[in-house]
Amino acid sequence: MPRMNRRRFVGSLMAGAGAAATLPMFSRSAFAQDAARLRLYWWGNPSRDERTFTVIDLFEEANPGVQIDGETVSWGDYWTKLATQTAGRNMPDIVQMDYRYLDEYVSRGALHSLEEFRGGALDLSTYEEGPLAGGMVDGELYAINIGSNTQVALFNARIFDEVGIAFDPYGYTLEDLKRIATEITEATGGSTYGTDDNTLAYEAFETFARQSQAPLFAADGSIGTNEEVVGEFWEFWRSMREAGVVPPAEQSASLIGSGMNELGLITQNTAMSYLWSNQIVGAQSLSSDVLGAAMYPQKAGGVPGQYVKPSMFLAMSANTEHPEIAAKFISDWVNDPAMTAVLGLERGIPPVPEVREALSPEFTEAERLSVGYFSEAQKHVGELPPPPPPAAGEVTDAFVRIGTEVLLDRQSISDAAAEFVGQANAIRRRAG
Amino acid sequence: MNKFIRRNLPGYTFLFPWLIGFFALALGPILASLYLSFTRYDILTPPQWAGLENYEYMFTWDDRFWQSMKVTFTFVFLSVPAKLIFALGIAMALDKGIRGIGLYRAVYYLPSILGASIAVAILWRQVFEANGVINSILAIFGIAGPHWMGNPDYSLYTIVTLAVWQFGAPMLIFLAGLRAIPNDLYEAAEIDAASKTRKFFAITLPLLGPVIFFNLVLQTIDAFKIFTNAFVISGGNGAPADSLLFFTIYLYEEAFKYFRMGYASALAWVLLIVIALFTAIAFFSSRYWVYYENERD
Repeated sequence: MPRMNRRRFVGSLMAGAGAAATLPMFSRSAFAQDAARLRLYWWGNPSRDERTFTVIDLFEEANPGVQIDGETVSWGDYWTKLATQTAGRNMPDIVQMDYRYLDEYVSRGALHSLEEFRGGALDLSTYEEGPLAGGMVDGELYAINIGSNTQVALFNARIFDEVGIAFDPYGYTLEDLKRIATEITEATGGSTYGTDDNTLAYEAFETFARQSQAPLFAADGSIGTNEEVVGEFWEFWRSMREAGVVPPAEQSASLIGSGMNELGLITQNTAMSYLWSNQIVGAQSLSSDVLGAAMYPQKAGGVPGQYVKPSMFLAMSANTEHPEIAAKFISDWVNDPAMTAVLGLERGIPPVPEVREALSPEFTEAERLSVGYFSEAQKHVGELPPPPPPAAGEVTDAFVRIGTEVLLDRQSISDAAAEFVGQANAIRRRAG
Repeated sequence: MNKFIRRNLPGYTFLFPWLIGFFALALGPILASLYLSFTRYDILTPPQWAGLENYEYMFTWDDRFWQSMKVTFTFVFLSVPAKLIFALGIAMALDKGIRGIGLYRAVYYLPSILGASIAVAILWRQVFEANGVINSILAIFGIAGPHWMGNPDYSLYTIVTLAVWQFGAPMLIFLAGLRAIPNDLYEAAEIDAASKTRKFFAITLPLLGPVIFFNLVLQTIDAFKIFTNAFVISGGNGAPADSLLFFTIYLYEEAFKYFRMGYASALAWVLLIVIALFTAIAFFSSRYWVYYENERD
């Protein structure tokens, strides 16, 4: 054996490492010949990731010879990575899908129709009709809704009790909100404002526009709202600012894009914040006070504006080599008692009644609030709007951008409303 | 030829790893982006040739493009001179031969190392918050500070200060430049009873010319490319009201949020041309203001 000098030492180290690295590779590829390997891709958070990996383990145990590789990233990177993988014909077999992108992926032929598996590998016998509709594109089933969701106005129940606020959480109007917010601001001596300022809250505007029967996007994807409705919305929140019952404008402006822990409701800067119903459990865990749930305020003389949104779907890649296994996985995800028990309410309200019932004895306070609110709100919501058209996200961004000018009094409301409608139309035209 | 190889081989050998990276990983995508800049491309469907459409839209229709140009240029013109002056000042203070200079150098260089990190950007956000450090200090003097991050009139200045705070790299280069100025020049000036100001303007500044030039070019290029800090502080979209819509942030939004890869590629090439233009101007003008000691005649 030649004398070991430094170079030789490093060389042999690397050779050893190389051999060690190739060994398991070979053994795995030998094994892969009889195992079916699928990839599952989702966006989420640590709690969701843990639940999902557990579900994968359960499925693998029940189906020997199947291996599911989980891949997860945050929402911000999710669509970039999925689009790139799809372009490279490397789309994961099963993907978590959002209502906004479903049409786009179907129209580009990236998703596998699920019709052929119905009644076979995909058991939908106890699955509710309403949630099912969200996954249909042109009358054909492409995605399975794995949890529903609706807008929610969360309020600080302790403060509401102490101040003695009485209101109907499912029927109060914007004028009621103004009265409530004034009472709270006065009773707390201004240390807690009545509510968050919704000037920049796109969901609040979307609800208001639907209540005014001028939804932002019409059924054909064109801009269905007008300057008057946009102006009326911003006027209301300006009157709230002038009354001093929402936080100062600059404070609200700086909260854009910040996390849930900075919400007015959580920091107790305000007594009311606006979220989605699958965030109730998360918000409660951050709040030291007990929270209550209400719908968004109604518009006097308006129609219902909120809706039940399919919050997430599972869909199948058109290029998957194992469509039957993928279909079975999706089916078990919504039906299997062990798997649904692990998933809980984390992704939204489960669409199978038996699953909801089986879960209920284990509910925490916050989960009970979430389910109770959801089932009551369901009676007061409007129809599911069509999926947002291409570039809808850009229109949302323009709303926030121009809304900031209104919020900070840098532009008159009538000018800003006209500019927003103009830009929204231009963005839609450019997207084609 | 043989002589050329023999003379330059060591240099190219050291360059080799970088060259592999450049040819294998960078050159291809760069050329591809030039092609893509003439197409419409949303990643999911193949690119469609669009000719000059992207460039035409950019210059004639796109208000946000011009807004991003305005923000970026304001930032470059404010932050680069401020940063260089600051760096030179600190370098001169450290050049005095104080005890423990190594420690000071490390301490002052630290912000530059941390500068590109997410953590510092988040920290900065908190320093300038409504109840942040800055406003707490102002409150002692009875001044109610504005909401720096939420107000489009002030938000850009918070990023300028962040950039100036990261003066470490140019400072080290200035420090080296200061050390290279021959001491006999100062001694001669001393004998002639020149004032401190006079010595600075007649000796230090002219002899630092090449170093200032070098720092100016590098910092200008860097400033045009600012991304991480601005991305974190503006919440990723140039908020509030596009006051932090730097060129790179707009480019990122177009590419990875709206999936207009063709348009984003066109933006990238415009940025490249702008940077090249400014570098060329700097090089051209340097003939008139940069003084090289060894080419006196």
